[in-house]
Amino acid sequence: MPTTRLNLLNGLWAVLVKDSLCEFRTCYALSALFMFALISLTSISMSIGVVSLPAQLTAALLWIILFFCAMSGLSRVFVQEQESGSIVVLRIYASGQAVIFGKLLFNVIMLFGLTFFVIPLFTMFLNVDIYRWPMFIMILFLGDIGIAATATITAALVAKTQGKSALFTVLTFPILLPQFLSSIGATTKILADSQPDMSEIMFMAAYNVAIIIASSILFDYIWYD
Amino acid sequence: MLFERLNLLVNSGQCLAVTGANGSGKSTLLKMIAGLVHPTTGTIHVLGDGRQLDIEERIACIGLVSPEIVFYADMTGVENILFLTRVRGLTCSLEQVEEFCQIVGLVVYKDNLVHTYSTGMRQRLKFAVMLALQPLLWLLDEPSSNLDADGKILVAKMIDNALTERKTVIIATNEPWEVEYADYKIELA
Repeated sequence: MPTTRLNLLNGLWAVLVKDSLCEFRTCYALSALFMFALISLTSISMSIGVVSLPAQLTAALLWIILFFCAMSGLSRVFVQEQESGSIVVLRIYASGQAVIFGKLLFNVIMLFGLTFFVIPLFTMFLNVDIYRWPMFIMILFLGDIGIAATATITAALVAKTQGKSALFTVLTFPILLPQFLSSIGATTKILADSQPDMSEIMFMAAYNVAIIIASSILFDYIWYD
Repeated sequence: MLFERLNLLVNSGQCLAVTGANGSGKSTLLKMIAGLVHPTTGTIHVLGDGRQLDIEERIACIGLVSPEIVFYADMTGVENILFLTRVRGLTCSLEQVEEFCQIVGLVVYKDNLVHTYSTGMRQRLKFAVMLALQPLLWLLDEPSSNLDADGKILVAKMIDNALTERKTVIIATNEPWEVEYADYKIELA
């Protein structure tokens, strides 16, 4: 019997397009992410009024909003497959690596979209002035990738368990904590109109690489065993 | 212990029928061959090019028709087929997909979302996927379940064609007419 190998890039692209198509038609995750962001921003804005918050508190609020928005929607990439039963189709016909990277890319795109939606509202509602946009965008980019990568692998881990939602946040937060604190630290400096240390940026980038590599290695065990 | 002293070699172009009462492990055996379930002891080897295939190679040569196969309800039949061929790294044109839908009797419904399909139509879609993927190892778990008389003729034709094309077919069934295709039979207790 002649043998063939699954093509990673084709598979990754197919998973990404499939997830986007299903999400576009149902909007389950999108509505959860965006409604959570809107409600939390509005609540914070109404509670603080016109008062300007210190940079550290503002930065922490931004990343808490992004983190909990992610927790409300990003687990769906695996939980939905498990609950509908379509995960068997993926396990039979797709390579594990194509699935994890396809779903990771989908979550990254979702989180970028959410960030793009949140930042203008955040600056407007919380009276925040940002002077160093390129650096701010870089921190958001690195932080979003970290949240999406961690959320994707923990979503795969909790998909088969009971009490998925609680377990998802409980597992994701400690894994993400170092990246989370660095993001808040770097954002605080930007909001205070100073430059974040290069070591912080390097740490965030290295953390993302480490999480993505670890996810890739771990996922084969989750997927095939 | 679900299976004991189960030792068999099935070659290309041959058909194995697995029969047995409900709960005897027919579907579990097929899932083990597919790599979805791992045996606690013993091994299942899928061979190709004279050697044992690793898990990714095994996946690339298997096609499964089973009640456990659930398609994406928010995608059309055509979209499901295109997705599964692309995720396998195969290319399949829209015309080819339409032809497969025609063969399995789904051409009228091909652009409808799968959540509007009846169980029989979903079963036919599983066979359309098999036509698109052309797997070397066909694992058929109760292949004619939920199908009408025409659907059963379709299944018979597809098994015939697969065996003619030297595919390996393993059927878990209790239907006597499906067992007739088998070169080997296992009855699980």
